[in-house]
Amino acid sequence: MGIITEKLPCYIEPIPGGSLLLTSMDAVINWSRANSLWPLTFGTSCCAIEMMMATGAPRHDTSRFGAEVARPSPRQADLLVIAGTIVRRMAPRLKTLYEQMGEPRYVMATGSCAISGGPFMYNSYSTIRGADEIIPVDVYVPGCPPRAEAFFYGLLTLQKLIKEGESVRRPGERRKPVLSALPPGITLDQIRAEMAAVLKSDATVNVEQAAKKLEKESQDGQCESADGCCCSRT
Amino acid sequence: MSVHITTLDDRVRLRQDDSSPLSTQEYFVNMGPQHPSTHGVLRLVLKLDGETVREVIPVLGYIHRGIEKMGEHQSYRQFVHLSDRLDYLSALINNWAVSMTIEKAANIELNDRIQVIRTLMAELQRIQSHQLWWGVFGMDLGAFTPFLYGFRDREIIADIFEETVGARLTMNYIQPGGLMYDIHPGFVKRVKAFLQYFKPKLAEYETLLSGNVILQERLRGVGRMDGQTALSIGATGPVLRASGVPLDLRKSEAYGSYGKVAFDVVIGKNGDCWDRYWVRLEEMRQSMKIVEQLIDNIPEGKHMVMKPAVKIKLPEGCYYNQVETARGILGVYIVSDGKESPYRIHLRTPNFNNLWAITETAANWRLGDLVAILSSLDVVVPDIDR
Amino acid sequence: MDSANLLTAVAAAEPNAKPREKADRAAVQVPVGNLSALMKRLRNDSTFAFDMLCDHTAVDWSEQGTFELVYQLYSTVHGHYLMVTTSVPRVSPIVPTVREFWRIAEFQEREVYDMFGVLYDGHPDLRRLFLEDDWKGFPLRKDYTDDFMLERPE
Repeated sequence: MGIITEKLPCYIEPIPGGSLLLTSMDAVINWSRANSLWPLTFGTSCCAIEMMMATGAPRHDTSRFGAEVARPSPRQADLLVIAGTIVRRMAPRLKTLYEQMGEPRYVMATGSCAISGGPFMYNSYSTIRGADEIIPVDVYVPGCPPRAEAFFYGLLTLQKLIKEGESVRRPGERRKPVLSALPPGITLDQIRAEMAAVLKSDATVNVEQAAKKLEKESQDGQCESADGCCCSRT
Repeated sequence: MSVHITTLDDRVRLRQDDSSPLSTQEYFVNMGPQHPSTHGVLRLVLKLDGETVREVIPVLGYIHRGIEKMGEHQSYRQFVHLSDRLDYLSALINNWAVSMTIEKAANIELNDRIQVIRTLMAELQRIQSHQLWWGVFGMDLGAFTPFLYGFRDREIIADIFEETVGARLTMNYIQPGGLMYDIHPGFVKRVKAFLQYFKPKLAEYETLLSGNVILQERLRGVGRMDGQTALSIGATGPVLRASGVPLDLRKSEAYGSYGKVAFDVVIGKNGDCWDRYWVRLEEMRQSMKIVEQLIDNIPEGKHMVMKPAVKIKLPEGCYYNQVETARGILGVYIVSDGKESPYRIHLRTPNFNNLWAITETAANWRLGDLVAILSSLDVVVPDIDR
Repeated sequence: MDSANLLTAVAAAEPNAKPREKADRAAVQVPVGNLSALMKRLRNDSTFAFDMLCDHTAVDWSEQGTFELVYQLYSTVHGHYLMVTTSVPRVSPIVPTVREFWRIAEFQEREVYDMFGVLYDGHPDLRRLFLEDDWKGFPLRKDYTDDFMLERPE
């Protein structure tokens, strides 16, 4: 593990005859996960070179962030850096790679191709327009290819997300930055359906009314999770 | 007439059946598409007998992006940026290949300054590409230090490019009609500093890796390919030259400013892995020699002979032109119907043709040697698949 | 040989070969029936000695209803280039393979089959190269469409 740049998520209680370390397990586990990400050596095209410049080359030192142990086997890695274009033939293999990685696993899409297809978006019969059509992506790092500094910014963002979000009891189920900004009870699919309806009808739509309708529907729905966790409908 | 269309499944099954009852059992193993020593998403289906490779069947297409189809919908200028992403380690030379084809077709005359800067940039790119190859080659053979050394020196050239071009890898710098920007005022000084720096480092490369007895044992005599086979399989660049065929377009076509500089075409004798290794190391020396001769003599002039906003239309016809990239001959074939975008654009990429040498050379070598042979061919997978 | 001499020599060797116009280098056009014989001559005859098949590709002339197959040859002995083209109808695109003269043709022809659907008679291993075996259609044909591809909005 690299240089620890932040405080350990705990506090020390001074008691007579010694002191006591008080913390929550989740915080400590997340903190240690965030600081020991093992990336998979996976690169399809140009971005892989810049990723090698960032992770392997002597100028930039990824071990500062605890992410220098690049593993060629997905079973030993927990960070999948999608460096390069994903095409239709590669897509099922990418999914397999992702599924072979142990939980918890994190995905970073570096470069325009992995984000949206980039320069190969139009008129290509083969390029997948964004790796997130195949597997869930946690952090997007733009660039064509992204510089090493951008790669590190992405890595630090991911570390921040891990420290803030994930629950160790339910690995893999973590707060998505996009979803967390939504009002409670509304899912992205509902919004998409609503938007499609708005685009279809030429009448002026009362947005407040639509939101109320959605809210009402969601209140009527039963709470699915037994312990009333925040991640499903409340 | 009979035309049979087969599939990979057929192929693997067919070959399995023909083994004689006396032989040991042979089996198929997939290497790739996710494998650290295939340098990308190349998949090799290996027919193995124990640890001995009997046959290599490359399976391609894991990074086939359909660049040729896209080219038919883009203007000539737009297509240049796609050429960066073929063999990204020779991005500038690829730009040059496309630009040169367009310039020849449209009869655009360039001034000396543009030619000299293009040549300089191409040679720096060649050195940079070979540095990366050297580092990765060492790593494939189990030595990690060369990787660090190669990447350390590569960064310096990346900085030189960044200062002038603004990008480190996919540069889109050489344009039809000239260059995107003029060189940075500090370019000459930095290139000279790099030459000063890199000469002793190249000697260090030799002491670090070349003389190593393990490396010698693993390379000498391994993966031999004679000149006629190399020509027949379409190999070009260092792979062909290592087999003793002195084909270098920089010499035979003398495009750009190569006609004005003195340099040697490096050729090998045996066409084994060691020769391919040695040819590339020597080529770095020759490239430095070219840069040395040109860096003090950059003529004055404009960096663009035509306005960048002008739309290019090529006269009807077909045009084929080739340049020598770090890995071999890149040919650009353009069919124009007089419109703003090509009717058909095809790229003859060096790696696509070099790759098949593996089917000739790797048979009856061990699996570990296959890694050395593949690495000595120096393939860049997106350039194979396009 | 320079390109004028080369064209004369090729015309003497193969009377059916006509110069292909609108090309930037020495180029001949042969009927598909004479392709194999001409290629054999070009490969083995010491006056030509084309020992390298640089490139092989196809062009879809959909309006004329033909595929034009293009072979770029280079001789390391004489240092000359020649472009050989032949046309096949789009409805039954069958050409003889030139794999026996240049080993690389096997793979270049597979690429052309993959992208255009041109069938090579006598090819030992004709199958898809870049796309999956079950792919529908041939993407570099001008009339290729699928429901995946996105057109660039104007």
